[in-house]
Amino acid sequence: MTAVLHFVPLLNGRTKHLHFQSFDESYVTRLRSGDFRTQEHFSAYFGALIKIKLASRLRRPEAIEDVRQETFARFFAALQQGRILQPDRLGSFVNSICNNVLMEHYRSAGRDTSLDDPDQEGLPALNVDLIAPMVAKEIEKKVREVLQTLAERDRRLLREVFLEERDKDEVCRNFGVDREYLRVLLHRAKQAFKSSYLKYVGENPADFTAA
Amino acid sequence: MDHESVVREKMTEKYLLEELDPEMREEFEEHFFACPVCALDIRAGSAFVTRSKVILAETSKQTSAQPGNDVPDSAKRGWWAWPRPAFAVPVMALLLAVVGYQNLVTLPKLTHALNQPRVLTATTVNLLTYGANSSPLVVHRGEGFLLNVIIPPGRRYPAYKLNLYNPAGVVDASIPISASAEDTWPVSLPAANWQSGSYKLTVYGVTETGQDVEVGSGFFELQVQK
Repeated sequence: MTAVLHFVPLLNGRTKHLHFQSFDESYVTRLRSGDFRTQEHFSAYFGALIKIKLASRLRRPEAIEDVRQETFARFFAALQQGRILQPDRLGSFVNSICNNVLMEHYRSAGRDTSLDDPDQEGLPALNVDLIAPMVAKEIEKKVREVLQTLAERDRRLLREVFLEERDKDEVCRNFGVDREYLRVLLHRAKQAFKSSYLKYVGENPADFTAA
Repeated sequence: MDHESVVREKMTEKYLLEELDPEMREEFEEHFFACPVCALDIRAGSAFVTRSKVILAETSKQTSAQPGNDVPDSAKRGWWAWPRPAFAVPVMALLLAVVGYQNLVTLPKLTHALNQPRVLTATTVNLLTYGANSSPLVVHRGEGFLLNVIIPPGRRYPAYKLNLYNPAGVVDASIPISASAEDTWPVSLPAANWQSGSYKLTVYGVTETGQDVEVGSGFFELQVQK
């Protein structure tokens, strides 16, 4: 059985507690029966992971969305046909469907460029958030706070790595640090941000990642 | 790929920094689709990176813009309003009162407190590991504390500098430290207006040419009680 940490808001809508959602027979049964909250959880949880996975492979937001929707369509078809034999391996199953859809997308894009047109490669990948404006604002505020706690040099390092997309080895050399320093810097910043992310992820389980 | 090795190898960070080869990337994806802890980690990390890009881009634009171009007039002349008598006279009176209070009450009290033997609250900040200690350092308002700073082995410098950043990311203290062969430095922080929250401590080695080279950073949680 795989336990999934998932925040569920209490009735007053302000306080949250940690609720363990399990990927098991019961979860699959609820999904199959069309239980709204379970379906909502499934879409939010795996939708975000699929977007993260696809962001490094597909450039156009529309192509990412197409592959995500097709993955879900195939998953729910398999669900209704009773082909989910190992509920505890639900995540692996979704990932393998996504891999298949992606392979088909590549093949189809080779013949017909309508899905991920190379001419459109300059477009940024999925910068549209599906989160409520208030939550997005809080998340952004926290990221700002975390960035503020970094030394100016570390902020410049991240800026050069993330924004200018320069060769990371060269950037690290210029800053007199190694790649491990960069990983540790990101790790610490992510850890500082994570508790706030957890705090808000419950009230809006939809995608926070924007790939 | 098991969870322990994912954590040990910092796979989330490598994935976000696009350092994994295609085979490892797929293995890690297979893992985080099945592992809820890593799924949360990758979602939080991805959200952080995405937002950071936007914020850092804004900062970059602001830095490259000419300073002062869009500063409102009221802000430009702000400091020049101070010498005007309407401000200056009451401010001087207030300053005199504060200086008097400090000389007669605060300083004697602090001197007396400093001369008393006492046990300081202490915590260890290990620059070899990341993350803060799990338990916060609890101090009472107006109390100092002790940090035992563990320095990573490696190059030694003729002098060091220790910067302490408060939870807002502002340097609260910058302490020069002379060369030491010890791996653990006891650093005493005096009673001050400490805030509750996560403090960052960064140690720099000062080279012969006067350049600062970062030796490492560590964090600790401070909880200030009344």
